[in-house]
Amino acid sequence: MSIEVIAATGAVAGKALSAAGALPSRPAPEASFETWLVQQFSATNAKLVEADQGVRRLALGEADNLHQVMIALEEAKLQFELVVQVRNRLVEAYQDILRMRI
Amino acid sequence: MNYFSAFEISASGMAFERLRLDVTAMNLANANSVRDAQGNLYQPVRVVGKAGRSFGNYLQQAVVPHIVAAAQAPRLVHEPNHPLADAQGFIAMPNVNPVDEMLNLVTAVRGYEANVRAMNAARTMALRALEIGAR
Repeated sequence: MSIEVIAATGAVAGKALSAAGALPSRPAPEASFETWLVQQFSATNAKLVEADQGVRRLALGEADNLHQVMIALEEAKLQFELVVQVRNRLVEAYQDILRMRI
Repeated sequence: MNYFSAFEISASGMAFERLRLDVTAMNLANANSVRDAQGNLYQPVRVVGKAGRSFGNYLQQAVVPHIVAAAQAPRLVHEPNHPLADAQGFIAMPNVNPVDEMLNLVTAVRGYEANVRAMNAARTMALRALEIGAR
């Protein structure tokens, strides 16, 4: 790595540091990650309940058509998968921080 | 999520093909029916799909089915021994063309299959997107 590149890195790091220094004065954003996560959890739960009810209706012979039930199942699966992946990234980030040398 | 709109579009396509299948089955079931007590003869019906009017509408219901009666003259069958036969020995039966109905059946099944494929493609895309950055 050439010296110029290292110098450039330093400049970027300096900027990042100054940005971090300015962080506490900034007001907290309206929609935080936490609210988003809670929203996603409730949306996932709603989808799961919907899929469950669809299967239940199908078992009772009340379902209009099969594909709606299957699509509800797929939607629930996708939504759940999204939340699981977000959770995986969160845990990864947490473990990365935990492994950090002090 | 955006992928759910793709699901909705495919679902409306599937519902449309299901309706076509139901209507074809009804035509076939009534192919050899005769006039009822009121003198009404079964009219063969067709499903006509209309595209959703606006793009926003596409996301809700991509195809809007309409059931229309195929106005056709009844088929006259020569059956002099039939209790409902007229003076010439003919009875009127619905003009259901078995070849048309079979074609409808096959295209409905294939159309349904195509919609399922499209839905599965959207699902695969979503699952692949969730694999981004996975260790």
